[in-house]
Amino acid sequence: MASLLDASKPRINCSMLSQHIGRGVCFVGRVEKVHPTGKTFSVSDGEGKSATVELNEPLEEELSGIVEVIGMVSSKGVITSTTYNILREDKGIPFDLELYNEALKVIHDFPQYYPFEVAASG
Amino acid sequence: MNVPLTKGAVEALCKGLDVDKPVLQLLNIRQISNASGPPRFRLMMSDGQHSLTSCLLATQLNYLSDENLLVPNCVCLLKKTVNNTLADGRRVVVVMDMDILKSAEEAGGKIGNPTPYNTDGKMSSPQKVSSSTYVPESPPSAAVPGPSYRNYFSPRGRGGSFTGQAPMKASPMKASPMKASPMKASPMKASPMKASPMKASAIKASPSKGLTVKVSPMKASPMKANSASPGSSAKVIPIASLNPYQSKWTIRARVTNKSSIRTWSNSRGEGKLFSFEIVDESGEIRITAFNKEVDKFFSLVEQGKVYYISKATLKPANKQYTTLKNDYEMTLHAHSSIVPCDDNQSIPTVHCDFVPIAELENRDKDAIIDVIGICKSAEDVSRITTKNSREVSKRALSIIDQTGKVVTVTLWGEEAENFDGSTQPVVAIKGARLSDFGGRSLSALFSSTVMVNPDIPQAFRLRAWYDREGFAINSQSLTETRSAGTGLNVNWKTLSDIKNEDMGHGEKAQYFSCVATVLYIRKENCLYQACPSADCNKKVIDQQNGLYRCEKCNREFPNFKYRLLLSANLADFGDNQWVTCFQETAEALLGHSAETLGHLRDTDEAAFDEVFQKANFTTHIFKNRVKLETYNDESRVKVTVMEVQPVDHREYSRRLLQNIYKLAR
Repeated sequence: MASLLDASKPRINCSMLSQHIGRGVCFVGRVEKVHPTGKTFSVSDGEGKSATVELNEPLEEELSGIVEVIGMVSSKGVITSTTYNILREDKGIPFDLELYNEALKVIHDFPQYYPFEVAASG
Repeated sequence: MNVPLTKGAVEALCKGLDVDKPVLQLLNIRQISNASGPPRFRLMMSDGQHSLTSCLLATQLNYLSDENLLVPNCVCLLKKTVNNTLADGRRVVVVMDMDILKSAEEAGGKIGNPTPYNTDGKMSSPQKVSSSTYVPESPPSAAVPGPSYRNYFSPRGRGGSFTGQAPMKASPMKASPMKASPMKASPMKASPMKASPMKASAIKASPSKGLTVKVSPMKASPMKANSASPGSSAKVIPIASLNPYQSKWTIRARVTNKSSIRTWSNSRGEGKLFSFEIVDESGEIRITAFNKEVDKFFSLVEQGKVYYISKATLKPANKQYTTLKNDYEMTLHAHSSIVPCDDNQSIPTVHCDFVPIAELENRDKDAIIDVIGICKSAEDVSRITTKNSREVSKRALSIIDQTGKVVTVTLWGEEAENFDGSTQPVVAIKGARLSDFGGRSLSALFSSTVMVNPDIPQAFRLRAWYDREGFAINSQSLTETRSAGTGLNVNWKTLSDIKNEDMGHGEKAQYFSCVATVLYIRKENCLYQACPSADCNKKVIDQQNGLYRCEKCNREFPNFKYRLLLSANLADFGDNQWVTCFQETAEALLGHSAETLGHLRDTDEAAFDEVFQKANFTTHIFKNRVKLETYNDESRVKVTVMEVQPVDHREYSRRLLQNIYKLAR
């Protein structure tokens, strides 16, 4: 896991999960449901699709709004979170998840101009 | 395609039976002369077997005749008819809604050999009640439905949802003088004319409730109303048939536009008013409430909801204040009743005839039009002072539709203040005025209805289109943008474009906008001492005796004002550029007034430096003027900042995405 933080973590949305199984990713989404155990929660992306995030340790804080999760995609498509970060609203301007999703697509559509994955893909 | 006529329909109609959408042929049409009100047309319809002469066209369908669509031999589908019984028991069929299935040419000629349906028919159907006697060949005047009191209905079961008071009760007292009055008296005349659609709507309205409304014989109805449901009877009529000459009516309509409360104060006193517009399937009308009625009804009336409305004063509409298609308008008074109606299925929401944005170029200036589009961007709200020194808020939106064209729409007042364009909603405006200001633009009027994300099919289609492809298309605005920033027709450039495109080399100065970051601002000579008189910003000469001299004003002043003249270096990804900022833009960039900065420089140099440090590496939208200027035989491109605005990162991101998709094509 320690190496995960060093490697590049492509930003993805739900539809790209299956192509990143076994790899470290960065997922930004809106917290939907937190499991009562506090060990998993679901997040929705800018297309409205949901993904499940698993935590190693139960949550110690209230989780809501937009989170950025760094983790590994399991074979079932679940993101095992190494770390997460709540994105607070900046000066009352809400995070535009749909717009973020558009940017994501651009990054993946034109990898030649956004070579963030060089390290990971070899 | 041959459309068979509905055989037996005439007989059924004459017996007062319900015929579901009969197909009949028109044999003859003629106008009934009447002094007031709209003209009425009498139709002779045939089902191939019998002909029906006592048939009237509801006034809202008069256009069919005016447009020469309704001509003898055409085949019609009567979508809605209403049976009306006259005082002497004769029946009249009023056509409320019809489609013309075949034109006269297509029909070829008279179908079959219809004979007038007459009393023989009646004889052959002895089960018919005597009140529904059919009299063929009745003269036009007799064919006119009786006075309005005849149209009294008692829709059973309606009382539960409607709790109107007395107004709808027909009193025989009232009725008889009307009946007795000669037809010449104009209010009398008008009221029978209107009577039939009125009646019709009671029936029209009720199917939605799943009720069958029976035409009650005149004598019976008030009694029935009194005994069965005292004080809760409704005579719901369509808006189209309202006129000032009738007093007992109820309309059932949806509020489509509600104004805020406005106050007035003039030599005759002061007061307040609000108005709202309502619509039913027949038409629309504007209602105004004053003072006490404002208090009574303002909170009750909600946009989009359906109400029963009765007892209000009708008067000719003042077209100056309304764009609705109705000759009358309504004023509420102390006895007016507005009762919410739960059942709103059959009442249309808003009548909109949306004009595609690209089409606006071909429309006349000052035309009142309905428009729908996605709000691509919205300016911040600003306050302006009108000619009569009233301060109002305004906000300009850029809306786009499937035609790929963009137009600027200005909202005013509360509409402007409350609008949130951040989610790029669908905006539909009914009754906006088209202006030729800045090319083509639209202005919402006080009479306009602004709907955000309305629940109508066009809105959903537009949303789908925009989310799929519309957001990325290279749209063209019909409106020239007047200020930098969020407008769409901004001449966006990058700093490298200034050199690459030789900007400013022409006769005229060029203007462009860019997103750039401040690299450095020169502190030296950024402030100067200027003449304190208004409108003179000339540099003053310190006389060293406590006085400052302005050469321009040719005066000495005991004081001066500080003014800013900043030289700043801006950069974006491609290049950097020295620019000049004068007073306002410099203050915006530094975030402090020139006066404060002057004071700081004299008292606290560290704080003064801090201001400049803080401004470094901030990113803004700069609107600039660029011109090649020559001093002492040396030509230099001079860039002056006209406006500094904060970056709307969403808007900026969308523009970048749009550019990326454009480049990828």
